[in-house]
Amino acid sequence: MYKSLIRATAALGTAALLATTAYANDLVITFDDLNPDKKAAFEAAVDAFKKANPDINVTANNGDREAHKSTIRNALQNDAPDVITWYPGNRMGPFVDAGLFADISDLWASDANLSGKFNAIKPTMSRDGKQWGVPYSFYQWGVYYRKDIFDKLSLKEPTNWAEMLDACGKMKEAGVTPFTIGTKFLWTAAGVFDYLNLRTNGYDVHNDLTAGKIKYTDPRIRATFAKWGEMLDKCSFVKNHATMSWQDAIAPFAKGDAAMYVMGNFSVGSYKAAGLTDDQIDFFQFPEITPGVARAEEAPADAFFIPAKAKNVENAKKFLSFIATPEIQGTWNKAIGQLPPNSDAEVNTDDKFIVEGMATLSTASGLAQFYDRDAPAAMAKAGMEGFQKFMLDQSTLEEVLANLDKVQAEVYK
Amino acid sequence: MSEHAMQTARNYETGKLQVVIGAVLLIIFLSAIYSIQVSGVANLLDYDREIEARVPTFLVRMFFVLMALVATFMIFTSTALYKRNRVACAPWMFLSVGMTFFLVYVIVPIFQSISYSFTRWNGLYDITGNWTGEWVGFYNYRLLFDDPNFVTSLINNVLWLALFMLAVPIGLAIALFLNQTVTGIRFYKSLFFFPFVISQVVVGLIFTWAYNPEFGLLSEAWSVFFCEEKENIVGNMTKVCSIDPPSILGEAKYATYGIIAAGLWPQIAYCMILYLTGLNNVSPDQIEAGRLDGAKGWNMLWYVIIPQLKPATFIAVVVTVIGSLRSFDMIATMTQGGPFGSTNVLAFYMYDQAVGEGVGRYGYGSAIATVLFAIMLCFISVFLWRMYQDEKVVH
Repeated sequence: MYKSLIRATAALGTAALLATTAYANDLVITFDDLNPDKKAAFEAAVDAFKKANPDINVTANNGDREAHKSTIRNALQNDAPDVITWYPGNRMGPFVDAGLFADISDLWASDANLSGKFNAIKPTMSRDGKQWGVPYSFYQWGVYYRKDIFDKLSLKEPTNWAEMLDACGKMKEAGVTPFTIGTKFLWTAAGVFDYLNLRTNGYDVHNDLTAGKIKYTDPRIRATFAKWGEMLDKCSFVKNHATMSWQDAIAPFAKGDAAMYVMGNFSVGSYKAAGLTDDQIDFFQFPEITPGVARAEEAPADAFFIPAKAKNVENAKKFLSFIATPEIQGTWNKAIGQLPPNSDAEVNTDDKFIVEGMATLSTASGLAQFYDRDAPAAMAKAGMEGFQKFMLDQSTLEEVLANLDKVQAEVYK
Repeated sequence: MSEHAMQTARNYETGKLQVVIGAVLLIIFLSAIYSIQVSGVANLLDYDREIEARVPTFLVRMFFVLMALVATFMIFTSTALYKRNRVACAPWMFLSVGMTFFLVYVIVPIFQSISYSFTRWNGLYDITGNWTGEWVGFYNYRLLFDDPNFVTSLINNVLWLALFMLAVPIGLAIALFLNQTVTGIRFYKSLFFFPFVISQVVVGLIFTWAYNPEFGLLSEAWSVFFCEEKENIVGNMTKVCSIDPPSILGEAKYATYGIIAAGLWPQIAYCMILYLTGLNNVSPDQIEAGRLDGAKGWNMLWYVIIPQLKPATFIAVVVTVIGSLRSFDMIATMTQGGPFGSTNVLAFYMYDQAVGEGVGRYGYGSAIATVLFAIMLCFISVFLWRMYQDEKVVH
């Protein structure tokens, strides 16, 4: 604390100096991922930007992702950087509504990449008909499975609900728990819910539900829960999932006790770290439930925004155009094993999950952000608790739905 | 007028130069306090340290509040008023530092928080610094009592309070057990005291692991009776149980008890140490007298020892009540309120609703905080009243 005080006084002194000299041609960027590969990819992109714009004095700051969720509030309201990372969809809503993010619709209209190569993701970056950020990466969700177990039981990748239940039955006979999951931090359950809902009712119902236009007691949402009940009965998840994080849930998967995992592509690295090889794991799209419902997918994106209080808006826009280029999008996402939102960017064809992901997302009829990013945070929290409660005890369904309706009425007021 | 009298008179005069310097300093420091909020100078610190921005801003502001106080003292001590009443003023000056900070950082925020509880607010100010909330009267309070999570939290708070009280008798029992002269007794005492030294977060983690139904200590013990190792489909050895081990933190009906048990571990150690020091002060004469009158066992304990431990018991109860209300750390490390909010207590639920995961219901969170404050106020009043009564007896 003493040290901070000294530093604070020192900072005050330097600030007085800076006030007269600085802001000549600066760019301050705040990033929020300290994972080694993510950090390196970000730094490489910043270095490339520096090389292309030697006259701009770039300061890049990086911090912990969870801490960023609370620091961003202060950063946007007090001393804002010029570019900051945040989530699109409803998560950007409060900041957009409070006028804390700058409207960059002009950049989306004038920039050659943004205007033509980002059509799939554009709706996600929009609110009130304007665009607010530029995505640098996204990834697919789906079912990751143990190919060796499927082969042993001579199972094929299921393409519809009946095949899936049938496969589950065979796995259970062989003593394998069909699905692993760790719901301690709740959001993993939302992934399962989203897919059941997207496959049962489609993209529009997902959006209407997360926008508060459909009640949870609506027959369509009840149908989703009915499918989930079926999944719990006939497929079943690992026991004790309420005490496990998503990483903990990899253990039964790696050991061969569980065969499938509804997850995002960021998890592949962890499967490999747990000792699984490309031959043992594979990916399939969540199977069709209601025939004829157009296939929509979960594809959460990460994006950069310009705070309304940014001091170097022109430089910030230059940076956003720069990261929208196919070259940067390609190298960045190759490095972190994810997908580039720019449709012209090159993907890593050596990675079968990336190839499948690209195939999955480029043919999808709609891209959802994920339940907890599409719904307002207060709704998402209550919703995901409800999902967990239902997974642990199906008999609580009525209670869960009634409570969610109540929360919904309050949150969307 | 004698020279001496003149000098004395001059001593009581206001020092004009000091007042001017003090006033200039005061203006500088007050404007510093204000400008920190506006320009966010302190944010320079965060970018290279990668930590939460509010902490340094808060510290810098605190520093300037202190400086402003010093400047105020400078002005005040140079006035004639002070020079004539040094003795009467001095204690208040010493108190004023603590009182100012208590006022600015405790009392004012309490009222701010209470006022937020009558609003709907997501914690944000807009670009021009305008508050974005709206006034809703008692709406949040009406919502509270219709919120199953709030009711669960309230029940859990009561559970915590009731079960945490077990720390007092158990602590006493261990203290009595350890209050003997055996070789190495100090070592055993420190072993029993050990859990109190460990951080709550570490205690929480240790218990989380111990409870883990896959690899925890409890499940290992369980497997000896109910499980066997079998080869699974890909040839790995895996545990198959005839009765599954209990998933203490994964089931709503056990989870709160599991966390309380973890919290009790260090709390018992705390009560034990209080009673051990208390036992040192038990008068041997009275025990001797009791012996002569034929008291032993329970009678001796109940009628002779425990009455003499009254001060230790009072403190043990106070720290246990406070400890049970501080259950936040344990819950945050062990379950984060889960499964599905069943282990929430008011303190955690308040945090969860206001700042946790961007939920951002500051008004609602403040309403929970106000209810928690009201409950704590009851306890605090009782304790303060008791202490006041005790002091009156002494004087």
